[in-house]
Amino acid sequence: MRKFQIKVDGKVYEVEVEEVGGNESSAGTVSVPQPVITKAKEEPVSQKVVKPSSSPAPAKAPTAAVPGEQVVAPMPGKVLQLKVTEGDSVKEGDTLLVLEAMKMENEIVANASGNIKKINVAANDMVDTGDVLMVIG
Amino acid sequence: MGEKRIQAQHKKGKLTARERIDLLLDKDSFVELDMLVEHRCSNFGMDKVEAPGEGVVTGYGTINERLIYVFAQDFTVIGGSLGEMHAKKICKVLDMAMKMGAPCIGINDSGGARIQEGVDSLSGYGQLFYRNTIASGVIPQISIIVGPAAGGAVYSPAIMDFVFMVKNIGIMHITGPDVIKAVTGEVVTSEKLGGAMTHNRKSGVAHFAAENEEEVYQMVRKMMSFLPSNNMETPPSIECKDDPNRMEEALLNIVPTDPNKPYEMKDVIRYIVDEGDFFESHPYFATNMLTGFARLNGQSIGIIANQPKILAGCLDIDASDKAARFIRFCDAFNIPILTFVDVPGFLPGTAQEYGGIIRHGAKLLYAYSEATVPKITLIVRKSYGGAYLAMCSRDLGADQVIAWPTAEIAVMGSQGAANIIFRKEIAKADNPEKVRQEKIDEFQLKFSNPYEAAKRGYVDMVIDPRETRPRLITTFEMLSTKRETRPAKKHGNFPV
Repeated sequence: MRKFQIKVDGKVYEVEVEEVGGNESSAGTVSVPQPVITKAKEEPVSQKVVKPSSSPAPAKAPTAAVPGEQVVAPMPGKVLQLKVTEGDSVKEGDTLLVLEAMKMENEIVANASGNIKKINVAANDMVDTGDVLMVIG
Repeated sequence: MGEKRIQAQHKKGKLTARERIDLLLDKDSFVELDMLVEHRCSNFGMDKVEAPGEGVVTGYGTINERLIYVFAQDFTVIGGSLGEMHAKKICKVLDMAMKMGAPCIGINDSGGARIQEGVDSLSGYGQLFYRNTIASGVIPQISIIVGPAAGGAVYSPAIMDFVFMVKNIGIMHITGPDVIKAVTGEVVTSEKLGGAMTHNRKSGVAHFAAENEEEVYQMVRKMMSFLPSNNMETPPSIECKDDPNRMEEALLNIVPTDPNKPYEMKDVIRYIVDEGDFFESHPYFATNMLTGFARLNGQSIGIIANQPKILAGCLDIDASDKAARFIRFCDAFNIPILTFVDVPGFLPGTAQEYGGIIRHGAKLLYAYSEATVPKITLIVRKSYGGAYLAMCSRDLGADQVIAWPTAEIAVMGSQGAANIIFRKEIAKADNPEKVRQEKIDEFQLKFSNPYEAAKRGYVDMVIDPRETRPRLITTFEMLSTKRETRPAKKHGNFPV
């Protein structure tokens, strides 16, 4: 379970996001967000996805993540080489990038077939366990 | 009415209990017991409910002509629900299996406890858990999940040795999606919560996944061929069609000379074992560690191996658990252990430390140390530090440690070691980078080989990779009469 603070129209929401897993759809479970700091002065006027309400009624908070299969770093290390670019079509098991970790050039493979929707890392980036490297959709 | 239920069962892609037993056992070998047992519950109108066979078919038969006890829950009879007499039938075959020293295979497809019977039904589960535990390490116990196994029903399979699940029909969970939704608000499908791949990949509860029922019974039959019938017997040996003296050229170049390059450890295993047949257990879980059965010159062996392709072959929580349980199974049933080593160390990070890698890693050390079956360790490439010790080193009781010339046995990698040992020298030098590299090379030269360890006798022999198969076969033959006794004790305190 990871906690995030999300600011919408000047109000800060605390959301808990739990990653359900690597290979199945993991849009994340969003628990009931509650405003932690409420600015009493201004009422939001613009239409946003989330409408903060002072009542405890649950509201859906937006998640920044691109929907799709997330490819996460299995261990901390350095991205050596990207084997794909955004928009590429990949099959499950294809090598996506090489991650140097534990003195080994680890091939990170696709956990699903589809197109590379987003790449969050570049060569020489340091990544930590659980970081989302790419999204396949 | 029975016909209708059978149709409903088939519609779900499931077979009936008797069809299942017929697929599992040798043709016409099944003898059914307790066909006429009835329940004695009169609560909630149960006295008017007839439950043929009490919702479970039990008996014995053979697999490859060896005696096997079996029970198969019958979902077409009150949902295969478990009541007092249903449990008694299962207990009877388990008791007989233990007395006769024959494996017991359970086929699970049950809606759960028969609620009308109240605490009698709970007692039934308790009786099962108790017997599964008493039988553990005496006879192999295999569980096949081809339907729901929810709540208490999951723990009997969990205590047994291996769990097979069939995709889309086998479900295991403690609490179902409805309860989870009511309690935590989390929405999850039954398949995602407790389906075959969830338990094969994520939880590690299940060891095998099959596409359909036909496949699962073939897998179980194959697994039984590697196992003895009980803990007093040795595994059956079969006639070996593969030349025991086979030299394998491919092994010479299979390990990349660059220690940073990964490779497929399963290829190494397949080149060595009889006919390349490696029956992998837990193939989807903690894939940085490989476990499975194979044969060398017709004799069953259990294989534990690091997989450099995944997570660099590091030891982590799940890999330690997976290997430790497999080692204990092999030891309980007299199956010699062959360990392939290419391990850079334990996986670093807060997730591992907070998850208790110390107590989980301890299981691996404990299981290897405790095992008294013949143990051979083959060091293929890296073997560093604590992980070197953990992977069945001489000090944990390996009977023979064999190394390829590519083996590197050291307390840590050369870079880290040089930085620590020569820190002052490097800092004082005019050109620290040059000195650092020199020291790294010096350390590399000294320890990036198996010979330093061989000088102390930690490695018994360094062999040409091509001759691995004949060497392992003769070494296991030499060890076949091994007897090792341990101090008398009730039982050790296994670090769970």
